Amino acid sequence: MPARSLRAHLLRMLLPPIAALLALGAIVAYYPSSEPTTEAYDQALFDIGIALGAHIRVAPTEYRFELPAAVDQVLRTDRHDLIFYRVLSPSGLHIAGDPSVPAPAGDAHAYDGVLEGRKVRVVSVETPCGRSACTVLVAETTNKRVRAAREFLLTSMLPGLLIALATLVIVWFGVKRGLWPLARLSEELKARSPRDLRPIDAAAAPEETRALVSALNGLLEELAQAARNQQRFLANAAHQLRTPLAGLQAHTELALAQPIPESCRVHLEQVHQATIRTARLANQLLALARAEPGGRGNASDVNLRSVVEGEADAWVHQALARDVDLGFELDTAPVKGDALLLREALANLVHNAIQYSARGGRVTVRTGQRGGESFAEVEDDGPGIAPQERERVLERFYRVPGTPGTGSGLGLAIVREIAGGHGARIELAEGAGARGCRVALTFPHG
Amino acid sequence: MRLLIVEDDAPLASGLSRILEAEGHAVDVTERGEDAVLAASQEHFDLVILDIGLPRIDGFEVLRRLRAAEKPIPVLVLTARDALEDRVRGLDLGADDYMVKPFAMPELTARVRALLRRSQAHGGPRIVHGPLALDTVARRAFLRGEPLELAAREWAVLEVLLAKVEKIVSKEAIIQAVAGWGEDLSPNAIEVYVSRLRSKLEPAGIRIRTVRGFGYMLEEFKPAAH
Repeated sequence: MPARSLRAHLLRMLLPPIAALLALGAIVAYYPSSEPTTEAYDQALFDIGIALGAHIRVAPTEYRFELPAAVDQVLRTDRHDLIFYRVLSPSGLHIAGDPSVPAPAGDAHAYDGVLEGRKVRVVSVETPCGRSACTVLVAETTNKRVRAAREFLLTSMLPGLLIALATLVIVWFGVKRGLWPLARLSEELKARSPRDLRPIDAAAAPEETRALVSALNGLLEELAQAARNQQRFLANAAHQLRTPLAGLQAHTELALAQPIPESCRVHLEQVHQATIRTARLANQLLALARAEPGGRGNASDVNLRSVVEGEADAWVHQALARDVDLGFELDTAPVKGDALLLREALANLVHNAIQYSARGGRVTVRTGQRGGESFAEVEDDGPGIAPQERERVLERFYRVPGTPGTGSGLGLAIVREIAGGHGARIELAEGAGARGCRVALTFPHG
Repeated sequence: MRLLIVEDDAPLASGLSRILEAEGHAVDVTERGEDAVLAASQEHFDLVILDIGLPRIDGFEVLRRLRAAEKPIPVLVLTARDALEDRVRGLDLGADDYMVKPFAMPELTARVRALLRRSQAHGGPRIVHGPLALDTVARRAFLRGEPLELAAREWAVLEVLLAKVEKIVSKEAIIQAVAGWGEDLSPNAIEVYVSRLRSKLEPAGIRIRTVRGFGYMLEEFKPAAH
């Protein structure tokens, strides 16, 4: 369905009635005002008729009409129209003039007729001759009248047309102006973080958009409710998943501590590894779900330095288990965010760096501020990530081909999700000396 | 040592008790918080391993009641819930340590050892770490039974590290613990004391690991394989 323009729609609705009103206006204005013009032109014809009537002579036996050529010329000269006349005796007999001038149908003194295929206006003038009255018919073609009517129509319609044009222009720009509150509302919604499910401030919205705002707020509330339900579900799922996994891990490790046949031990080792992987995968999936829009916890003031310091002990033990030298360069790095999610993001970066470092490798965690922006980064001297892979490694379940180990490919996707939720940039680059990998999260001001 | 496990998941509880029994502890298991509070009030336990997600009264409530009884029993909290992790971490509840399920058993046993050691050392006049023994009353140290000369600052640094075996300790934390009022101690000075301690302790197999840019960690003593 094509996008429907409110403007076009309004114009389409307005145009027919405006056109109809214009036409009606023209008709209403034309007929009453055209009468005086017609009367004036008719009057001129009456005058000619009266002047012609003066030239009828009454002889004892007949009527004669004697018109000097000069008078005929004066009377019948007109710039636009041809003038014809006809003189009839009291008994209706033709005396003189053009016999084709139509006779009156009833007793009308001015009427329309046709003369030699042309429309004409005819007046009939009674003029005294002897004891009774003769009739002089004067006909005139209608050029003048048509032109006058046309001009009159035009001048009477012009203001109407101008008003109509002005109306359309006002509608065109008025719609834009009138829709401004909606434009502002959409700007506000666009600027929102997808995780921000707080209601829109209805009091600040213009009267006309209140209904829309309250409908949107209803939707937002439903979304927030759904998000809360999801969080409750996640908390329960986490509990339900982790406890049996802990039991499984405990018993596998107990079994491995027993003197068991080597053939069994191999399988048990596999079970043990799978248990650990499953546990980690469960944790990561839960973290990913938690980091998704709507899953965000409370934003508060968090110092990335404190986050790292709180986890340093656990990370150092992870690193020692793989004989990796984990070091720190920590400076204050205040951000606004969810401490739990930020910890998860950093833990994933550190975990990756330790996993992909060689034995004896070196991993450094840094926090601080650059150009007024807080950052946290993890650098290793492992195999690094090729530039063409850097975008893809942020995708879920993607693992660089040929990567050893049993990672799920979720770690960096979790980091990206959490960074996105905090408006942070994520950069992948080479480590110092063009070796290894450096992943930096940079947080915007505020 | 006598341990109490409060865990309602039977397979996990049995796994934990077997592992801890293998470490040489006497282990009791209960799956109900009420029973745990009752047992702790009537008998002596050296450590309680407490699951948060219990039926009826949950782990937090058990912890609150244990603490209300003013029994200084060390409590190791187990949790499976991320959302609760921060509450556990905020030591306002009085847990001595916590672990998120699932966990590796060696880590659990290491934490249990550390907690028991800390509670034994707490207020006790004697701290023992492998071949090293500190008499905190007489302020004398012995290594393999021989008297060990330690300067006052070296003693103070060693005491801080011994209180947190297998845990990393930041230089700032050491400075705070070692420096007296109004004293200004530089991180470099701490490095000097640690390096002197190393030269005295390493021959006996006691290792202080440097955590680059952070601080130090006194490693758990492992007798050299023979």
